[in-house]
Amino acid sequence: MRAIVWSGALRAAGVGAIGICAAALSGCVTATVQEVREAETGMTEGDRVVVLGRRHKTRSETETDFIDCVSDQLTRKREPVNVMSEGEFVDSVFPWFEPLVAPLEVDDLSHVISKPLVAERIDEIGVRYLVWIEGHTERTAEAGRLTCNVISGAIPACIGFLTWDNDSNYEASIWDVRTGINAGRVSTEASGTSFVPAVVVPIPIIARVRQSACTTLSEQLQAFLVSEH
Amino acid sequence: MTVVRLGLLPVAVAFAVFGCTGANVVVNTVVPSPLVEPLPLRVGVFFDESLRGYVHEETVEDHGDFRIELGSVQVPVFERAFDALFEETVALSSMEATDGVAAVIVPVFEELQFSIPAQTRGQFFEVWIKYRIDVFGSDGELLTSWALPAYGKSNERNFGFMEDSKGSGLTEASVWALRDAAAHLSLYFPRVPEIAELVQGGQG
Repeated sequence: MRAIVWSGALRAAGVGAIGICAAALSGCVTATVQEVREAETGMTEGDRVVVLGRRHKTRSETETDFIDCVSDQLTRKREPVNVMSEGEFVDSVFPWFEPLVAPLEVDDLSHVISKPLVAERIDEIGVRYLVWIEGHTERTAEAGRLTCNVISGAIPACIGFLTWDNDSNYEASIWDVRTGINAGRVSTEASGTSFVPAVVVPIPIIARVRQSACTTLSEQLQAFLVSEH
Repeated sequence: MTVVRLGLLPVAVAFAVFGCTGANVVVNTVVPSPLVEPLPLRVGVFFDESLRGYVHEETVEDHGDFRIELGSVQVPVFERAFDALFEETVALSSMEATDGVAAVIVPVFEELQFSIPAQTRGQFFEVWIKYRIDVFGSDGELLTSWALPAYGKSNERNFGFMEDSKGSGLTEASVWALRDAAAHLSLYFPRVPEIAELVQGGQG
């Protein structure tokens, strides 16, 4: 189910709500996604996208496997996006996108791409959009206890109940390198509860919260980048 | 009867395997050539012994012995950075063999510090390296000593719980620190007044 809500002040905004209670032995995850469009997008043949994680903060950082997941999923959609890996991109324009040097605002991007060598290299590798991702997944609560006893005959038997909640919160800012403007942003929030009930045998029912956030964000990003608005 | 708290079992296993073992890290990486306009100067570069064989050894209480070997990787990092920064660089075998260059540049290793998540109650392995770049004129006079700090970090969440996160985390943080050194050097060294003066003198 997806519901779109339009926000008056912004040119376009969409809010989707997706409840995923997937296959057996998967916990329930609720994910919402929001889109704010500030400029037209669209991709032509040869245009590439780079998904980058913000690494300048000293206390929190987006997980590298989340960046890899979004990059990977963008290439697997029905209308796949041509993605260049984060590592390949930062190496090819070294040192301009190193953690402590990379442009934090789109105005700073203009300064970087005004350097002829950088502009030439970006043109050469065909990068049209930079997608900056900030956020992370964290465990917000946990409870319960599980004990396993080795009974006669060395057979283990467990009893108890463990539960924990995970929350994901990610925002992607999309910069158009060709025009040097911020095209918009897509954000997602996902939460889910995992359980491990055990009566003799523990049965883990894991909520794949980060994976759901990745899928939701990638779908919305793909639509944002490819569709011409 | 044995009672096991399963919730803690993975942590216990990981702790037993990696908990008190410290880490032995040999840093090996290729930092890309910086994408910068070269300065119109012919300079000599002399690599001090401090740069070639540096090994950091430290014991962290309750966490074991740590050894970070940076020696073999620093020279290529600086060579690439200087090759990009200047129109021509000459590798000097000694400070005396200046070979008619406009200046002699000597990168000097000063200090390395690191921290692991258990020390900071955070989630990052962090490495700080302090270099000094000495610049000598063609007459051998010291023109300037420029401080070059470098920082790298690595998120422990990027490693699996059965992985040697201390070794991998410190290696990755060291690599980011070396990249930061090369980035800082290539972007900010041309702004050092003495270097700007040499460029102006060379053009004049």
